[in-house]
Amino acid sequence: MIKGLNRFKNNGLFVKMFIVMVVSIVLVSVLITLNTFRVSEKLFIDTFSITNNKIINQINTNFETFTDVISMSFHEVQQSDKIKAFLTEKDFDAKTDAKAYYNINEQMTSITSNIDIPGINMFLVGENGRSFSTNYVNWPISKELLQESAITENTYRDPKKIMFQYDPLNLDTKTSHIIASKPLYDRETESIYGLLYISIQENELNRFYDRYTSAGNDVVIIDQSGRVASSNQKDLIGHKEMDLLQYAKEKEEDKSNYNSLEVFGKKKIVISQHIPIMDFYLVNLIDKDLVMNNLIDTKSIVMISLLIVSVAVVAVFFITGRLTKSLKLLVSQISNMAKNDFDQYVTVDGNDETKQLATTFNYMLDELHDYVNQLIETQKKQREAELSALQQQINPHFLYNTLTSINIMVQQGNKEKSADTIYALVSLLENTVGNPNEIITVEQELENMRHYVFINQGRYGDRIKVNYFIAPECLNHGLPKLIIQPFMENAFFHAFNKKESGHIHLLIAEREDDLVCEIVDNGDGMEMNERRIIQHNKKNRHLFSGIGIHNVNERIKLLYGEGYGVELSSHLGEGTTVKIRLPIIKPNNFTKTQ
Amino acid sequence: MKKIIILLLAGIVLLSACSSGSDETSESGDNDEITAWAWDPKFNIAALELGEETYAAEDKEFNLKIIENAQDDIVQKLNTGLSSGTMKGMPNIVLIEDYRAQSFLQAYPDAFYDLSDHFNIDDFSDYKIEPTSFEGKHYGIPFDTGVVGLYLRTDYIEEAGYTMDDFNNITWDQFIEIGKDVKKKIGKPMMTLDPNDLGTIRMMIQTAGSWYLEDDGVTPNLAENEALKEAFRVYKEILDEDLAIITSDWSQMLAGFNDGKVVSVAQGNWITPSIKAEASQSGDWAVAPIPKLDVPKAVNASNLGGSSLYVLDVPGKEKAAEFLESTFGSDEDFYQDLVTDVGAIGTYTPATDGEAYKKEDEYFNDQAIVSDFSTWVDDIIGVNYGMHTYAIEDILIAEMQQYLDGQDIDDVMNDAQQQADAQLK
Repeated sequence: MIKGLNRFKNNGLFVKMFIVMVVSIVLVSVLITLNTFRVSEKLFIDTFSITNNKIINQINTNFETFTDVISMSFHEVQQSDKIKAFLTEKDFDAKTDAKAYYNINEQMTSITSNIDIPGINMFLVGENGRSFSTNYVNWPISKELLQESAITENTYRDPKKIMFQYDPLNLDTKTSHIIASKPLYDRETESIYGLLYISIQENELNRFYDRYTSAGNDVVIIDQSGRVASSNQKDLIGHKEMDLLQYAKEKEEDKSNYNSLEVFGKKKIVISQHIPIMDFYLVNLIDKDLVMNNLIDTKSIVMISLLIVSVAVVAVFFITGRLTKSLKLLVSQISNMAKNDFDQYVTVDGNDETKQLATTFNYMLDELHDYVNQLIETQKKQREAELSALQQQINPHFLYNTLTSINIMVQQGNKEKSADTIYALVSLLENTVGNPNEIITVEQELENMRHYVFINQGRYGDRIKVNYFIAPECLNHGLPKLIIQPFMENAFFHAFNKKESGHIHLLIAEREDDLVCEIVDNGDGMEMNERRIIQHNKKNRHLFSGIGIHNVNERIKLLYGEGYGVELSSHLGEGTTVKIRLPIIKPNNFTKTQ
Repeated sequence: MKKIIILLLAGIVLLSACSSGSDETSESGDNDEITAWAWDPKFNIAALELGEETYAAEDKEFNLKIIENAQDDIVQKLNTGLSSGTMKGMPNIVLIEDYRAQSFLQAYPDAFYDLSDHFNIDDFSDYKIEPTSFEGKHYGIPFDTGVVGLYLRTDYIEEAGYTMDDFNNITWDQFIEIGKDVKKKIGKPMMTLDPNDLGTIRMMIQTAGSWYLEDDGVTPNLAENEALKEAFRVYKEILDEDLAIITSDWSQMLAGFNDGKVVSVAQGNWITPSIKAEASQSGDWAVAPIPKLDVPKAVNASNLGGSSLYVLDVPGKEKAAEFLESTFGSDEDFYQDLVTDVGAIGTYTPATDGEAYKKEDEYFNDQAIVSDFSTWVDDIIGVNYGMHTYAIEDILIAEMQQYLDGQDIDDVMNDAQQQADAQLK
């Protein structure tokens, strides 16, 4: 987890870019897909409803032709005197009956042969009690059953009209029936002499619209009582659908193409029309979701979108990875730069932009190096100039003090000693003032020291003894002028404040390929943690030159690097040791540098 | 880049695999399914279902799909299907009425599968073999017998002073004589007649071993057919004496006896369930042998209707044949169930010794009617129903009207003969 977090942090740029890209791709795909669905749905429903309205009109026309045929049959039966006779004559024996039934069969056969509708049964019932079926098998009804039924009752209610009804009797047949019925009316006697029922098999009505239906596109035909008379959804047949009837009736008034309704618990587009003669309602129910699912293969569209998205995401993954990888490398190289003192170049790699960036960076690095080097050089020179300036200055107090003591010597008549002192001072001045930056031999420096010591001893007496231990092979090595003098001076003036007398050893030898000069005194010593020895002496009266001991270390390091310099060790009451470490400078070397 | 292409390809393959997966639908089930066409859910369809149930014990995989079609539709579909030569949509098993069987067997013998090896013709009544065979090959396994009986209301005849013995092995003339007396005494006519269906005529002439056609099954035999003339005479006399109620459909016929309007019913044994449907008349009925025509060699046994099962020469025929063989063709126990559960009397002779056949029927005053019918089956004289039963009947229905109007019987028959000769050439 933490590792993952770290990776995340390290890949911050990549992750950000990648997430932004993925979110955009997904968002665009989803929006386009949804919009496609929405637009095509609307377009489809509009087109669908127009087409279906036309289809409904077509179906209705079919129904009209059909009802015309049925009406024609009613008319023919009504007009036939033989049929009237069959239904009205009374008091008959078996033989006349037999003839009558034979004749009525012939009559009715000729009428039915004109109706080109299979599966019908024309059922005649007379007031005299006779009844006749043209095709009993198709609608096996008995006179008794029929006379008690609601069909007959409804038929009498409006004797002028052919009544179409769904047959609720559920006779033992494969299909349900729609019954057209009408009383046979005698105009002369103004009485009803019989009834004609024509049974139509539901699947015959089904034929008119069946080819237009499909899954989710259903046709329902409901009679005026709200009963489903026919439908391609067989399980609906015979059920009362009052809501649908109500809707269809309302639809008669308003002339819109279609409405969306909630029917049978599903969203449906409903188109309906009235079938005039039958007084049925033709209702077309389109299951919105199902039809839409058939139209738009949601699965494949979503799959295609998913595929596109995943391909795009993979592509983005690789491209973003490549882009950010070189950038990331660059960034990590740059951020590690401080560790490598800014002298490690950046690898020029990756794409054009990062290459250019790296090149520019490297160039800038070069420039920076140059600049810094220059600056260092300048500062070094400046410091050197400062130090040499300081070195050249001979402290006037020193001169004053020395000359004063010579004066005293002269007044005391100590001619020889004063001449020696003057000689020492002259030699010292000669050596020091001449070349400030000069490398001189140990021997020369030693000479200077002797003069300096002589002057000081001349002034302050020789209670402080100075001993020189110089390795002979060192005599010809070079060292910067006046390196040792400040420490000698320091020892003279500060090491013996409490002790009356003591000695100072100056040791010069080669050690580990370095030249080491040690100034050892057995004076007061000091606490090593007190660093003031170097800084505290502000009163410069005793100092020979402007160079203080604190500058020596700096100067050596400036000249020869970090490996060299001054080490100080001191113990209270025991004395102080100053160790100066210098490179060995052979005579032929330092003559060149001059 | 390569990776992307591979990924893309993989995606496409995945997609196509997904979409093709759903299209596969299994149609393998259809191969094992045997289809059968029949028309009466309470009778022959129920019998086939019983057969399927019985056969399922032997072959669990067996799947019989019974399709209900009106008999007229079956005839029409068979005719169009077989004449077009394509057997597509044809069932494996089809039930055909014996009267019509020859019209198919003779016209399309190749369309039917020879069942000669699948049943023993000696096990079945002789009269069923003739209509189901053609040129020595046996194509149909007999289903039910149409053996007829004279169902009588015992309470009515007793009221009129008669007993069942008076109806035993009588002629139609004797029947009319009794009928006149009964009508006079209790005012009830003897029977129902449908002028548009000459089943009664067919039933009468077969008692004399005669038919509308010669033995060749093709040549109309009307003008010289004494039995037919005699039947016409009897028919007219029944009407003249007003001994019949005229009906025009099944419900009217049922109403005739269920409502107690008639004294007797002369019909095939398949009417038994309809008679028994009127529970209030239990114990009031008995069955006597059918009256015979008063001609030489006539017997008191005849047939009306009855059908047999045929196997069409379409894939699955062997299986269909095996199914019929082991049920309708050889299973005595199955025939017991058939009588008990469906009420169908078969013509499988070995089955007649079974319990169900000998069982007495309370409704018929403990008369063992199935046993009686089975006895009469044996007496039926086999005739070749030939190819044109209903075509000739249509002519005769019209001629009957002429005859009822008083035309001479010979003139009527000559006229009918001429029409038949002309039409059936």
